[in-house]
This record gives sequence, C-alpha cells and structure tokens, in this order.
Amino acid sequence: MITKTIEYEGIHQLHTVSEEILNFTKDNSLFAIYGDMGAGKTTLIKSLCSVLGVKSNVSSPTFSVINEYVIEIDNKTESGNFEKEVYHMDFYRIDEQREVFDMGYENYFFGKSYCFIEWPEIIESLLPEKYVELRIIKSDKSPDFREITLNLH
Amino acid sequence: MNLVLDFCKLMSNPVVILGIESSCDDTGASILKEGKIQANIVANQDVHKDYGGVVPELASRAHQQNIVPVVHEALKKAHVDKSEITAVAFTRGPGLLGSLLVGTSFAKSFALGLDIPLLEINHMHAHIIAHFIDLAGEETPKPKFPFLCLTVSGGHTEIVLVEDHLKMKVIGRTNDDAAGEAFDKAAKTIGLDYPGGPLIDQLAKDGDPLAYKFPHPKAPGYDYSFSGLKTAFLYFIRDRIKSDPNFVKDNIADICASIQYTIVKVLLKKLVQASMDLGIREIAISGGVAANSKLREELLLLKKSENWSVYIPKFEFCTDNAAMIAMAGYYKYINGSFAPQTISASARYSYED
Repeated sequence: MITKTIEYEGIHQLHTVSEEILNFTKDNSLFAIYGDMGAGKTTLIKSLCSVLGVKSNVSSPTFSVINEYVIEIDNKTESGNFEKEVYHMDFYRIDEQREVFDMGYENYFFGKSYCFIEWPEIIESLLPEKYVELRIIKSDKSPDFREITLNLH
Repeated sequence: MNLVLDFCKLMSNPVVILGIESSCDDTGASILKEGKIQANIVANQDVHKDYGGVVPELASRAHQQNIVPVVHEALKKAHVDKSEITAVAFTRGPGLLGSLLVGTSFAKSFALGLDIPLLEINHMHAHIIAHFIDLAGEETPKPKFPFLCLTVSGGHTEIVLVEDHLKMKVIGRTNDDAAGEAFDKAAKTIGLDYPGGPLIDQLAKDGDPLAYKFPHPKAPGYDYSFSGLKTAFLYFIRDRIKSDPNFVKDNIADICASIQYTIVKVLLKKLVQASMDLGIREIAISGGVAANSKLREELLLLKKSENWSVYIPKFEFCTDNAAMIAMAGYYKYINGSFAPQTISASARYSYED
C-alpha cells in the first residue's frame, strides 16, 4: 500500500494541498474521506472540486446524500468539449447498507467519475479493491492545524 | 397529444393536476382542481395501513412501493376520477437520482396512458410556489411580486428574488452546510438524536439565548456559511466538558437557546441586508426550518421594525410535499410550458435558466 502524509494550517493552504493530493492519487477516482465532525471534509472536497474544475456551488450533501457537479473537459482531438460528472456523497444519515443498495451505489463506486465520499464507515465493505483512503486528523497544536493521511488501496 | 383536443379540454373542463414528488425521502401525491389543493398525501403510516406501502425511508424501492398507494389515496381524498386529470406534474430534480426516477417514470407512464400532458417541476422552484397554495374553500394571503424568499431546510439555504410565478433568481446560497444541517449537527454534538433540529427548538424554550456567544460566520454577499459555526460549537462544547463533565446536562436549555439564536440571527442578517439593498419588504419563508419558533419570533419583530409583510405556508407545505408540485404545475399549465415524453430526471437541475 502506498501512503502519504500532508500537514497544513488554515484553509488558505487548501488549494495547494488539493493539488498535491490529486497529483499523488493520479488516476484514482474514488475517495473514502474520514474525519470527525468539523474536521473539514466538506471544505476539503470543495477545494478538490475547484482544482478539478467544478464551477458550480459545492455544498454539504448530508441531507441530499449525493450532490452531482460537472467539470467541462476540453477535448481538442475529438468532437469538442464534453462534460464529466463529479459525485459528492455523504452517508452520515444512512443507517443500513440496504439503503445504499437501493440507491444503486455500484453505478457511482464502479464508474469512472470522481466520487468523494464523506462518512464512508457504513459502506466500507462495499468499496471496490482500488480506492483512496483519506483521513483528516485534527490536532491539539492549533484549531486550524490538520494532518491528512492518504492510503492508496 | 392533439393540440385541438388539448385546447378543448382546457376550455371546457376545469384544470385538474396530479402532482408527484419523490426527490428525497418522502413519496407524495397531490390533486389540484380549479386552482385549489384538494388532497395532499405523503407516504406515511396511514398509507401503510390502508395499502401495505412502507414507511418513508431513503430508498428508491420505498418510492416504488409507495407511489401507487399515495396516488390512489390522493384521488380518493379529492373525489376525483383519474379520467378527470388534465395534466401530470412531477419533480424532475434536483434530488437523489434513484428517487427522482421513480416519480418521473410514474408520471410519464401515467400521462402516456391517459394521453394528457406532462409538466416538469424543479423542486426548489416548487418550495417557493408553496406560498400560492390554497386548500379548497380557503383563501390565504399571498406575497406580492417582487418578493424575497428564504428557503431553509435540512438540505437547502437560499435567498431567492422572485419576480413572478415562473421567473426567479437565486441571490444567496450556502457555501457549505444548510441551516437545518447546522441545527442537526449541533444537536448531535450535545448528544441529541438525528435529526435534532426540532429538539433544540423545544429545549431552547427554557433557555437564555444570550447565555453563550458564538462567532457569526462570514460569507460573501447574501451567501451563507454554517460549517465554521458547527466547528466553533464543537470546540466550545469540548472545552467546557474538559473543566465540567456535566456542562451539557446542566446547561442544555441555555446551550440550545444560544446556538439556535445564533443560527437564526445569521439567517436573518442576510435577509435584512437583501431587503434593504433591493428595497423589497415582501418576505416569504419556506422549507422545514420555517417551523422553528425562534425564527418565527424574530420574523415578527422584523415585521414591525422593518415594516415587512411576512408569509409562511402551513407546515405541511413547508416540508417536501406534492401539493407544491401540483401548484407549480398549474402555473406551467396556464403558461403552456409542457414537457415532452422524452424528458428524464435530473439530479442537478437549476431553475434559473
């Protein structure tokens, strides 16, 4: 397993952190994002989406479960530009795996689109073999200090 | 659809619209006749008892099991035969794709079967149109155009400038968490069950809203941000527990009152700003958080101090419901904005285009 640790203090560093994350994870598109409430999962995903080129508003999917965004891919070789989806999921209010089955999770987890998952604990056993485990850890050093660990499964 | 036939139907018979809602947790059906809501059904224990449907939950399968029973129940309650229905309105989005697909597919087949037109409805647009709902034999005061609508729920927080029934523009929205989510997550932090928003409201009644101060999050323009407040609240509780393990238990009312007061103040500050900047004093509130008693109390104060006219629909029309879909459908019907049979559900669906 390939791992990496990134530390940062304050959200002004997030853009650089997000670029570093995406450079490291390369062609991986499925991210299971762990972290306590208030660790900054949504904030990080907002930044990752921005680096990927999402223009629309990125907000918490705790209620909606899945938010869908698009990135416009500039494709000069083929038939012009096309759109690609980015999925932002949150399983905070899911109680049973059964609910995820009914939601058609396979289409998202096994698709080629980027998929950022908050509160993935309940669906861990459904994740494919290849995914990125990303943990955000708060520290007592300062309220703005965070450590991100990345594991490529 | 034959246009001449359509025109005859329009002229000779009253407009009867079946509204279908299935964007998230609840499956709903509603009947609108002569501009008034005759029935508004949400899948619940009654439907369960009468038709063997299931209790609402997050699952497209639940929607599949509930959709036929709720439509039956709505028709029965409205004393309308399905042959009288002139059009079917359905939630096209935004929402959970699997859930939206159930309502969309049902509406399309229903319309095809009866050879009647389809009306595609945006869920967020419908939350605003909920202010124009009248029940049979009722006439409630309606906001006058242009008005500002604050839609605030577990999943949404936005300020919309409404110019007419079909033309509106989002001028502010949350950059992270919705206000309802801020309530629910604050509740979770102090050990209340999810969704804890209504519980906070209840416990806050005996508390001092100024007992503890929390930072007001900053966001540009009329936008909101509640994520920082959530974190500040979390740190506050954690630090207090360190010195007094019984802090939450002993001060629950004051804690609830203070966090509720902060969220409500933040919500209203941007609304007041928008009202002042745009010179609009017609103010409408929709979404589940409209039930919050502190929000209502503060709105009453603003009514006097800012000379606002404030409109809040009945609670059943504030939360997700099909009546607002039927109502929005009615305006689209009058406008002749029909949807083709080739239409599909859309998880992300802007209503500003």
